[in-house]
Amino acid sequence: MNGRTRSPVPLHIVLAICAAIVIAPIVWTVAAGFRTQISLLMGEVLFTPVWSNFSEVLWSKTSDFLLNYRNSIIVGVLSTILCVVVATLCAFSLNRLRWPSWVAHIFLAWTMIFHMIPPVALASAWFSMARTVGLENTFTGLILAHATLNLPMAIWLMAVFVREVPKELEEAAIMDGASTPRVLWHVILPLITPGVAATSILTFIFSWNEFAVALTLTMKQTATVPVAIAKFAQDFEIQYTQMAASAALAMLPALIVLLVAQRYIVKGLTQGAVK
Amino acid sequence: MAGVTIENVRKSYGAVEVLRGVDVQVENSEFVALVGPSGCGKSTLLRMIAGLEGISSGEIGIGGRVVNNVPPKQRDVAMVFQSYALYPHMTVAKNMGFSLKLAGLPADEIAQRVSRAAEILDLRPLLDRLPKQLSGGQRQRVAMGRAIVRDPQVFLFDEPLSNLDAKLRVSMRAEIKALHQRLKTTTVYVTHDQVEAMTMADKIVVMRDGLVEQQGSPLELYDRPRNMFVAGFIGSPSMNFIGGTIKKRRFVSGNGLLGHDTDISPMAGDGAVILGVRPEHLSIDTSGIEATVLVVEQTGSETTVLLDAGGTRMTLLARERLTTVPGETVRIAPDYSRLHFFDPASGLRLGGDSDVDEPGPSDTKGNTSMAPARRTSLKNGRTGPRKKLSQALEAIGIRQDRYRPELYYMRGPGPKTHAKSVGADSP
Ligand SMILES: Nc1ncnc2c1ncn2[C@@H]1O[C@H](COP(=O)(O)OP(=O)(O)O)[C@@H](O)[C@H]1O
Ligand SMILES: [Mg+2]
Repeated sequence: MNGRTRSPVPLHIVLAICAAIVIAPIVWTVAAGFRTQISLLMGEVLFTPVWSNFSEVLWSKTSDFLLNYRNSIIVGVLSTILCVVVATLCAFSLNRLRWPSWVAHIFLAWTMIFHMIPPVALASAWFSMARTVGLENTFTGLILAHATLNLPMAIWLMAVFVREVPKELEEAAIMDGASTPRVLWHVILPLITPGVAATSILTFIFSWNEFAVALTLTMKQTATVPVAIAKFAQDFEIQYTQMAASAALAMLPALIVLLVAQRYIVKGLTQGAVK
Repeated sequence: MAGVTIENVRKSYGAVEVLRGVDVQVENSEFVALVGPSGCGKSTLLRMIAGLEGISSGEIGIGGRVVNNVPPKQRDVAMVFQSYALYPHMTVAKNMGFSLKLAGLPADEIAQRVSRAAEILDLRPLLDRLPKQLSGGQRQRVAMGRAIVRDPQVFLFDEPLSNLDAKLRVSMRAEIKALHQRLKTTTVYVTHDQVEAMTMADKIVVMRDGLVEQQGSPLELYDRPRNMFVAGFIGSPSMNFIGGTIKKRRFVSGNGLLGHDTDISPMAGDGAVILGVRPEHLSIDTSGIEATVLVVEQTGSETTVLLDAGGTRMTLLARERLTTVPGETVRIAPDYSRLHFFDPASGLRLGGDSDVDEPGPSDTKGNTSMAPARRTSLKNGRTGPRKKLSQALEAIGIRQDRYRPELYYMRGPGPKTHAKSVGADSP
């Protein structure tokens, strides 16, 4: 024991540095949102906070930010629901419906490959596909695209959660007379809710942050928050402070979700077994 | 209620055949135990009855209906799993009522049947708890409750007590037995513990490597094991095996266990045999042979003594307290009316009190390949039969050559004993 116990101080220093690295840009961004453009560009350390950037972004007639926010929420929520439902069914099927193992392996390998392709690489393909079927500049197009982009990760996560449910529970349900959909609904699903929650949150955040595909598939009416934030950087002027204010506002949903559901995420991602 | 018929059932996983033609008949209301070492295919067979595994060939019938292609939910059987498999997110009442809910019964009838089952199993105060708030024994009872609320044709148990501590296991054993006597539901019970099988079952099916070695009532198996495997598997501690030969209706062994004049030959001809004696049929007897005490285990009600008799390790179980100590030399003798003989080549039982007609020992049947071995055994009374014994024991999974007396005590077997037994064996 003696040899194993180390002073916690070095560990805490390392953790503090890591935390600082993660938090510093966020603090800087939020702070920038409360400055004037001049104060920011002059690099003042001490400044008087102003609300003008936020009110400009939120309420000014020329700003579409609230619309963008609504768009992001619609796309994020619906694509997440679609993605997680499909991923859960897929994971259940792959794990429990006695596919030949090569089918499952090829399928999972393909999702992995697809996941490694940067979304930007496929942006133009998404655009021409959406235009062919008349879904450009619609929520449906972007929702389908986001659900598809997130599916590989969601399937991998859900496959892990489904696999953790002891097979005997499923067999017990079968012996109790449950059909496959009922096994899934009454036994598997209640046991993997933390996993579903964790996967949903991650999927939502990825959709919320996705930029390249959203940029190609949307126009003014359907633009999401990342697209809108990028628009602050224009040819002749970069509106740093309004951009920072928008970014700070964009962080809110993720922050709220993480705070509320942190328990679930940790439980979901570290869940050893359903005992 | 219904009987279960298993006819020439086989099961393969890819190229591996885990069940190689099993025939078992379970009568209506009978309690049948499937026993055998781990990996012999008991669970596989049980799961095939349940419908959780497909049947590669052969036929399984429940209540006279062939169920090979009937899905589990239409077989009307209930299964209790080794891990209990309680739904962790449902209360005890919900766990027990789940099958009824799926069957679409009205809520009040579900409640009524659940509470009746809870009454039987003494689960009333626990109905609102979650499985994680229960002890192992309580979980086990809930698992049984889940099976009995359905009032199925057949109960299937897969090692239901193996996760409980020893004391609880004994009391649950009695409880399951009492439950069966009360409900009279046909039961197939898988266990690797022969004591469980002996105490609970009407009929025991002993399996090994995907085959049935013997089936019969517990006492039949104890009194007339069909082969060395069953003989060694049933009974605790295990039966002692001694290699030797039959000459002129007398058994002669390396350790001279048996008196020369006792006519115990199970068959007419001479030849190599293996003698089996249960530990409880050995006793300290001044007319017996010498043996050195290696280990003495007292349980209070009985004494188990591990002995070295002329180089063969033997176990003796006495119902009384023996005051012997390790290193001491004692004399032991068997109960001559309760000896078992086995053919060293096939391991099959020899002799009159077997209900089947057994072949004689291999060399009397003119099996030439055995002849050289026999000659060796005649020349050197000690090594020949002993070698065969160890081969036969190895065939049933016992490695006797690992036994090293010097690990147990310092003096080693006295040369006197050796000389005596060799002398007894030579013509
Ligand atoms: N799904 C499976 N795939 C391949 N082999 C299996 C499978 N299930 C069981 N086996 C093999 O079948 C044999 C019998 O298993 P089992 O019936 O569980 O034995 P027991 O219950 O008697 O311990 C074992 O050797 C096991 O490895
Ligand atoms: Mg088993």
